[in-house]
Amino acid sequence: MISSVALFTFIAELTSRLSGLNDQVLLRVNGLAGRSWLFDSLVGLTQENDLLKAGIIGCCFFAAWYSGKTTEQTHAGRKILLTTLIAAVCVMATTKALSKTIFLPRPAIESQKIYHLSGDDLVELKRTNVRVPLDEESQKEHRELVNGDVESNDLGSFPSDHAGFFLTISLGIFLAYRRIGLVALGWTVFVILAGKLIQGAHAPIDILAGGFVAVTELSAVRLIAKNRLDSLLEVLTSWSFKYAALSSALLFAIVFEISSTLFHVRQALALLAAARHHLLG
Amino acid sequence: MKILGVALCALFLLTSCQVLGKDGLIIMTDRSYKATVFMTNKSGFGAPDGLRWFNGKLYLADEGAGALEAWTSDGCIKTLLDGQFGARSPEDLVIDPAGNVFFSDDDAGGVWEVDAAGKQQLLAGKDKGLYSTEGIALAPDGSIIVGDTDAHQLFKVSRGGDVSVFLGREFGIAKPESMTFDDKGNLYIADNEDNVLYLLDTNHQLHRVIDRQNGFSPETIFYSRGSLYITDSQSGKLYIYTPNEDLKPLAAFGGQLRNIQGVTTDDRGDIYVSVQSDLKHKVGYIIKISKETAVS
Repeated sequence: MISSVALFTFIAELTSRLSGLNDQVLLRVNGLAGRSWLFDSLVGLTQENDLLKAGIIGCCFFAAWYSGKTTEQTHAGRKILLTTLIAAVCVMATTKALSKTIFLPRPAIESQKIYHLSGDDLVELKRTNVRVPLDEESQKEHRELVNGDVESNDLGSFPSDHAGFFLTISLGIFLAYRRIGLVALGWTVFVILAGKLIQGAHAPIDILAGGFVAVTELSAVRLIAKNRLDSLLEVLTSWSFKYAALSSALLFAIVFEISSTLFHVRQALALLAAARHHLLG
Repeated sequence: MKILGVALCALFLLTSCQVLGKDGLIIMTDRSYKATVFMTNKSGFGAPDGLRWFNGKLYLADEGAGALEAWTSDGCIKTLLDGQFGARSPEDLVIDPAGNVFFSDDDAGGVWEVDAAGKQQLLAGKDKGLYSTEGIALAPDGSIIVGDTDAHQLFKVSRGGDVSVFLGREFGIAKPESMTFDDKGNLYIADNEDNVLYLLDTNHQLHRVIDRQNGFSPETIFYSRGSLYITDSQSGKLYIYTPNEDLKPLAAFGGQLRNIQGVTTDDRGDIYVSVQSDLKHKVGYIIKISKETAVS
């Protein structure tokens, strides 16, 4: 009895401290926003512009695909990259499913006066004091938010799908080729994810959770690939050497999708789901 | 050490999630207001649409339950008229100063009445051209004005049950979803198919007050103390409109609270909004929006 009370107190204390730390880090990093139009516009550009946001990661993936001093090295690297792609799709599915289940609005949304339905009561959420960036897009989104226009995507920010997806890809590139992987990881952490914090689009806990899903699922997929999918990966990799032109074309399509966080694939899947709903009832 | 680290991380992630499961929220775009749940299905209603206060009782046009109901402050809900008498999908209601309740029904059609003594009657039904009635208002002369979706017209129903055209097809109203008179005798009409808020003045001239503005789609309108309260079920917003001022959002409803329907106010000016979370499974809420009391 005493030990369970002690454990409960410990968990409550730990949660409270970590939650406080989460808020502190968010406010420190977000504190950079709203001071300089130029800085905010540059950060905004890295979040809105696919070439700057994810194009760099796509380039790193492309470079890693063709790297390797010997054919054996390139062959081994491609197997890791193929495994990474499978893991990235799994991570995207997991983070999307979790964020649709868990109600945790973006910090920018939590800056408003919000009541959340908890059981049969409306509970007012703790308000975060998030700074609004000065760039045009952020100001427009803020005006829409003040007017009550909220996207359903903004209500489930935990875990961050961007963190999950790009950390998976970057870690995979890193496992294949250290130098290129460091560039990809650096861009993901210091540009893409830091930008999310600066803009108040995600809290550190969202990003940590996304990273946690990325590391866990990449490790799991690598383990499964090693034990169960090795022969399939071997065939695919050999095929990519044999049919170099066709595999390059497919690689372009894959990198294109990486650069848009699988947006077009998800759009096509949504159309299929809608068609199934309309045609089959 | 590694296991401890992973366990702590997982614990942090799980315990930091505020709520698991279904979400429903209200963003107060006017921060001087607060929101509370006034009633849930536990009170005994289905999924109400129209609401009206009268003499300390809240009357509900309960579309989900197919009944007209009255809630009293002791927490009881009394059914005044239901499917046994022919009602199917009560939409909106009005109450005259004597306490007679009139409601519309978009499935069964007609204008229905439960008088102050509790006597039920179909005042005018489908046989008089009222096929799918939606908005309903009490005219200054005591007659009932009702909008019909199928006919795209407004009808005047006398207390004796006589029906005449009040606003014909030539006025171009697609779906008269809700109606209310102001204190000057002007009639506001909400058309949530063409997304227009009309004003019919006392000279019978029709004006487009808010015309397809930024996705605005008026569901229910209610006039009180110089202002018009408007619910918009498409965007999940509650608005206040004061003539000669802009349309101002008071609150935005999201998640399972998004489908807001009826709106009314009580004597103190508190606003009540009905929410149909799931009409088919009779899940609804009544939310109270009131001014924050100043802390001295």
